Amino acid sequence: MTATRAPARSGPVTRRPRPAARLLRLELRHNAMLWMMPVAVALFWFTAERKTLATPPLWSLRAAGMQLSAVVAFASPVAGAAAWMGSRESRRRTTDLVNITARPRPGRLLATWAATTCWALVAYLACLAVVYGVTAQQAAWGGPLWWPAVVAAACLPALTALGFAAGTLVPGRFTAPLVALAAFFVLALSTQLIHGSQSYWQISPVVTGAWDIGPDPGVATFYAYLPDLPIAQVMFLLGLTAAVLGALTLPTGSGLRSLRRSAVAITTAGLVVAGTAVALAGTGRLDAHGMIAIPALHDAASDRPLRYTPVCSHTAIPVCLNPAYASYLPATEAALAPMLDQIAGLPGAPARISQTPATYRQGPGNSVGIGLAGSSISGAPPVLHLLLPVQLPGPALTAGELAGQLRSITGPSIIASVTGDGPGASEAQHAVTTALLMAARVVPSHLPSPQTPTAGNGGPPPGAGAGGERYVGSAPGSPGFAVAQRFAALPAAVRRGWLTQHLAALRAGRISLGQLP
Amino acid sequence: MTTGEARAVPAVAAGPGAPRRTAPSRAGVRLARLYATSRRVPAAVAAIAACALGLRLALTGHWDTYGALQLPLVFETAAAAAITATAASPLGEPERVTGRWLPYLRLAATLALTAVAIGALAAAGTGTHLAGGTLDVARNLAGITGIGLLCAATISGGLAWIGPAAFLIPGAYALYTQWHHPALTTPWLWPGRPPHDLGAAICAGLVFATGVAVITARGARDLPDEQA
Repeated sequence: MTATRAPARSGPVTRRPRPAARLLRLELRHNAMLWMMPVAVALFWFTAERKTLATPPLWSLRAAGMQLSAVVAFASPVAGAAAWMGSRESRRRTTDLVNITARPRPGRLLATWAATTCWALVAYLACLAVVYGVTAQQAAWGGPLWWPAVVAAACLPALTALGFAAGTLVPGRFTAPLVALAAFFVLALSTQLIHGSQSYWQISPVVTGAWDIGPDPGVATFYAYLPDLPIAQVMFLLGLTAAVLGALTLPTGSGLRSLRRSAVAITTAGLVVAGTAVALAGTGRLDAHGMIAIPALHDAASDRPLRYTPVCSHTAIPVCLNPAYASYLPATEAALAPMLDQIAGLPGAPARISQTPATYRQGPGNSVGIGLAGSSISGAPPVLHLLLPVQLPGPALTAGELAGQLRSITGPSIIASVTGDGPGASEAQHAVTTALLMAARVVPSHLPSPQTPTAGNGGPPPGAGAGGERYVGSAPGSPGFAVAQRFAALPAAVRRGWLTQHLAALRAGRISLGQLP
Repeated sequence: MTTGEARAVPAVAAGPGAPRRTAPSRAGVRLARLYATSRRVPAAVAAIAACALGLRLALTGHWDTYGALQLPLVFETAAAAAITATAASPLGEPERVTGRWLPYLRLAATLALTAVAIGALAAAGTGTHLAGGTLDVARNLAGITGIGLLCAATISGGLAWIGPAAFLIPGAYALYTQWHHPALTTPWLWPGRPPHDLGAAICAGLVFATGVAVITARGARDLPDEQA
């Protein structure tokens, strides 16, 4: 036999994928989450379309609503699918078969978990892209808030890790449904335990701010979105994921000793990070701008107001709004114009009406006081600070509903701030305010209570006016009402002339009912 | 040996060591017991009891409006998922071919478990403020069980939980919209309707009847290489 030298094989060299990548690719192709994606997306869309996308196009509202909807909609399908994948080896009776393969058990498990997480993230990112894409087209001002998106994204690996661990450790036909429903139960109903802004339970990824206010249109519009709570939530979720995955590789027969040491280290580190995050969440407090501030994570630069160029109306007294609320300007202008015509140019009347941020104050339990900080009129020339009803938590208002509240509450409050009307004012002040409203053809629907509106367990607050002075007016049938009717019937020039001359005295309470023309 | 010869063989006289024919009633009981064991019916009953206990414990706590309304629905869904989990067969095709009593066993097991679940959850709510009351429990549980049974017949016995788990979210959202308008008023989302709503009861009953009929006639779908 003659030995011959075989020539070196020439030709294209195909690079085989690394075993880990090949395993991941196989797991991606044979993963239950792939088939669960339409379910998760449909559930998200079912709530998001009606709830999140039905809110006014403000980034703060849409981002917070998206976080809540995504976490709740994805919880059951993702955790259930992960549990189903975790119990696969037991279901198919291949545990012994795969235990003798060259791949260590942690690697196999992590590949399955990673594939499940990947599909969950793909589905979530698709939903996120749609919600943010639609919002970007509709929003008049501002940009995407990424922290809520990151929190919801960080929730998915934690859900898959918990579900996968349950399926691996306790395989059985009841495991996947139990995990799916437990995930929903814990996420949707654990918030019952939140009491006030200093609650450890705020670590739940469904919490986007002060609980029971919910996504609030007045938050993160005048001031930057505070990432304090989202940072703590992401820390908790990543720590939880690491701890669960690390613990999953701890049981005996999991491979090399170094691998076990690494698993112990990862589990410990994960628990420490998650515990720290919970402790940090417990130190949170509701700040004046309606967001949860955590002192250890707080950046003082976030407290500075955002710069913006207001959009103003062409009324007798310009009404200037934050550009994020630009879509409400036509309704605001139409509702307030008749009343502003009555007071424009009078001594003490505002030269401009400017939308201002609401101030938040933690009340007992989960209640939150919301109102204006300081006086409603300040500066020279005087500027009246306006709180739009849409800045307050509660059901989203249509343009017609907003206009109705402005006409019946905010407008009369603006006139009252000029006449000095209020609970302690004179009969003449009540009568003049009523007369000016009659002249503007406005009939207030109700008398607002003098207390600061409160949101909390009792539900959303009533629409608030400009704050400060409140309209009281003259009751129908009273002598003041008759005087008001007489005063309103005067020619506009006569009425204005009298007011220009006597408004200061009227405000000081030196004009009696009988002195009115 | 020909067929005729085989037929001519006399029956073996029953002796002390020969297998005895069991009485029909005892055989029926044994068959039901074997069926229940193979479908993990005892575990399902334990799960239902755990749901009832969990609901009872939860109802002793303080819940706001959101929680009080949605809490029973979660436990009803969990009980329904436990019932549908018994639809999967560990024996597959051989049992399907040879077991002529299977449809009756499936029907009996499903109806019995549903009745047990309704009774257990209603009993758990006795003396407490159970939102919706017993009628709500019966309607929701029956309807969600029907969804799970339909999933068992169409997707797989092991994955039948997808239906109840997925329905929980629109169901809870329908409850949420009762005070956050616009309300979802379709009777197909029966958890959001009042307990005496006829349309919702008809829809839930229809889904339950369809699910029971399909699972009785066809049984759960088996996935290849999967052990239930």
